[in-house]
Amino acid sequence: MKPNILKLGYLLLGLFVALVIYLSYLQVIRGPALAANPYNRRLQEYESGIKRGTIYDTRGTVLAGTGFFRGEGRRVYPAGPAAAHLVGYISGRYGRTGIESAYDRHLLGMEGIDRVRNLVNRLLGRDRAGGHLVLTVDAVLQKLAADLLGGRRGAVVMLDTGSGAVRVMASSPGFDPNYVDQTWSRLVQDPNSPLINRATQGAYPPGSTIKVVVAAGALGANPGLEREIFNCRGSLVVDGYRLTDSAAHGNIDLRKALAVSCNTVFARLGLDLKPDGFHRVIESFGLKQDPGVGIPVRPGTMVSPAAMTPAELAASAIGQGEMLVTPLHMALVAAGIANRGVIRHPFVVEKFKDSQGQTVRQAVYRPWLTAATPEIAGVLRESMVDAVQYGTAGAAGIPEMQVAGKTGSAQNPHGQTHAWFIGFAPAERPRLAVAVVLENAGSGGAVAAPIAGKLLSAAVNRGY
Amino acid sequence: MYSGNCRRKAGPGVAPLTGADRLPERKLLFWAGIYAAAGMLALYPAMPFKTGFTAVIAGLVTTIAFFLVNLYWSYCGYRGDLFLLPITAVLSTTGLVFLFRLEPAYGIRQFVWLLAGLAVLVLVSRLMIDFRFLSDYKYIYALAGIVALLLPIFFGKEQGGAKSWLDFGLFQLQPAEFVKILVVLFLAGFLTENKAVLTAGTRSIGWLTLPGLREWGPLAAMWGVSLLLLIFQRDLGTALIYFSTFLAMVYTATNRIFYVFTGLGLFVAGAAACFHFFGHVRTRVEIWLNPWPYIETSGYQVLQSLFAIGSGGLTGAGLGGGYPGFLPAVHTDLIFSAICEEMGLLGGTGVIILFMIFVYRGIKIALSSRDEFAALAASGFSALLGLQAFIIIAGVTKLLPLTGITLPFVSYGGSSLVANFILLGLLLNISHEAREFHET
Repeated sequence: MKPNILKLGYLLLGLFVALVIYLSYLQVIRGPALAANPYNRRLQEYESGIKRGTIYDTRGTVLAGTGFFRGEGRRVYPAGPAAAHLVGYISGRYGRTGIESAYDRHLLGMEGIDRVRNLVNRLLGRDRAGGHLVLTVDAVLQKLAADLLGGRRGAVVMLDTGSGAVRVMASSPGFDPNYVDQTWSRLVQDPNSPLINRATQGAYPPGSTIKVVVAAGALGANPGLEREIFNCRGSLVVDGYRLTDSAAHGNIDLRKALAVSCNTVFARLGLDLKPDGFHRVIESFGLKQDPGVGIPVRPGTMVSPAAMTPAELAASAIGQGEMLVTPLHMALVAAGIANRGVIRHPFVVEKFKDSQGQTVRQAVYRPWLTAATPEIAGVLRESMVDAVQYGTAGAAGIPEMQVAGKTGSAQNPHGQTHAWFIGFAPAERPRLAVAVVLENAGSGGAVAAPIAGKLLSAAVNRGY
Repeated sequence: MYSGNCRRKAGPGVAPLTGADRLPERKLLFWAGIYAAAGMLALYPAMPFKTGFTAVIAGLVTTIAFFLVNLYWSYCGYRGDLFLLPITAVLSTTGLVFLFRLEPAYGIRQFVWLLAGLAVLVLVSRLMIDFRFLSDYKYIYALAGIVALLLPIFFGKEQGGAKSWLDFGLFQLQPAEFVKILVVLFLAGFLTENKAVLTAGTRSIGWLTLPGLREWGPLAAMWGVSLLLLIFQRDLGTALIYFSTFLAMVYTATNRIFYVFTGLGLFVAGAAACFHFFGHVRTRVEIWLNPWPYIETSGYQVLQSLFAIGSGGLTGAGLGGGYPGFLPAVHTDLIFSAICEEMGLLGGTGVIILFMIFVYRGIKIALSSRDEFAALAASGFSALLGLQAFIIIAGVTKLLPLTGITLPFVSYGGSSLVANFILLGLLLNISHEAREFHET
């Protein structure tokens, strides 16, 4: 009988071991999904018992704060629609977006010292609070950008070229994050999709703004190109497809070709780069990556090198191919040229503060990509100054200082061209880079460039 | 049966035995006491002063009561296993801490039941030290057990879907909890007596040799009782415990896996018939297979349990940090889910390991016992307690269908607690005798 007892013992212990294994699977592997299940009311309950942290702009203006009305916590967004896409919203029914979603755990005091503090507070039956965030954006500029976009479909991104800090990230049309629950059905049905953050999720053909990238690639492959003279006859036929220009520019050098945005020259340069060379320079400017700004960014997309026909390559080199990028990507291109070829890592959160207001973590300025050599960046900068001084981007000019820029008017199947402008200022010692896009609004020089100029002017006057 | 002098076993002329002063047990109880104090003190600050104070006092008094049991046994020279009492102390104080955290009123009642349980434990260790007499009257209390089980069907009070309580006004009694012990004793006695016949068989049908009606009749009756419980009291959990313990003991006694398979087959056949004829059994199985379509109704409980366990993660939300309010029947059936939510995987595994050690000690006692009755009884008690813990933990994790049974020593419930202390006492008595047998 003893062997049987032993077997019984093994069986019982085996059952418990199976339980431990299954419990581990349940708590560690399936745990996060179970904790986040919409039927699981724990997170909501946790939130209702905690004072969510405040989100400030770089000058201390409140962008999102929690107030108590009739004993119930309520999230208030004083900036309203102007910063709605970046800051995001929280809704019990419709989830959360933007900074509110990306830094949820910090704002709820579930990380670091606040986690310990809230554990103690709970044990002592005291109020719990979450950590605060100080963003890099400026609420006044943010509001100005939203006003300049004026409800039209489009986006504006402004970066500090030296640090990578995002000063403006605006998307239009906007929505009021204070009333997401009440206006939800209207917002999701609106054909203009106001809930989308066009600055980070909008996918646009870059139009002529991509020419600065192609120029960087061409100069990198052949530095002698700077002194070469091209002949523009006003059109180019590639594989039976005809690319036309606004005018026959005649004999021009690269600098002038960029300033007047000559399609023929850049289609030619793109074809010379070959699909692989073209991809390399697109990648060196980070266009196919999520730069990790703090909220999710749609990586740029394009036809793979193997599948790229000469016609597609020529079209892509003037920003009219299948390539799609976000305004943030193009702002980073401008910032890289402004910063002598080095793109700084972009970020939107300047400081993480704990619930007591002590800074627990600070943004680290670091380079992200080396897109071009300082010499090449210098050539591009001068061309972009020319574009503003006598080329297509004249409307971006402001009295305070010299602006450098490049326009784009991207054709698309939905009507008028998308108006693009990318640029930076002051041209001699750049501090700010900007990208503006307006969907189906006309030419970049006429529609997008003036917005960039006004915004740069306002930013400089505010001391950025 | 009753020994006038509790110290007679260590009387003059008998050399003091190692471990008779029960120092290791006392040391372990000291740590169990620290554990209980830590739990109660963690609850204290967030509670209203009066309940917090009560919780701390309850923890303190419970710890002292466990020490008193140890000191009394030490004085008597009682040589029962040294590890079972500390394990029980940790399990029952875990339950006590969680009950105070969930609902202080239940905590206070459980505290009283815990003291009653310890008193019963001392009585069992004293009055039933010569437990062998229990095998003599097996048919009488088999009958008593059946009557006790059937009473609630006619006079019982329905609670949480199961009709298994007898209402005595001042308190309610769940006869099934006590009958479990009678079942193990009955089977141990019956199987010892009929082991040879059951193993060899008296008549053959082809290659199969089977015992006569007189031998397998009582076993068939057990099967019938299990099914009756299932049908009339809607108590799937208790039926499962009875039946699996029964199979474990039959196998241990006869070494015939044939009985196990036949038994399992019959149980499955019975369960399948119930599935077919009884709506509530069918619902249970459907919920078990896929609870999501029933999330608002019958699947609510098991999904809330999964949410709680899943939200606990590795280290848990911390004592008081979870939301046990979402868990129906949290103080009884789902207490393990609340432990997992607040103590995490580490805490949940800790509780499981305590049950493993309990079973391990029980099997060790069975292996070292003096005769077959003691060995069978010890393995039956170990299987009973282990299987009960397994079935409810597997139920709340949806490994098995969720049933309404208690987690031994942890869940709220006077009947369950006292019955488990009786079980502990009998197991200790068997080990007391075994050690005397081996060491003198």
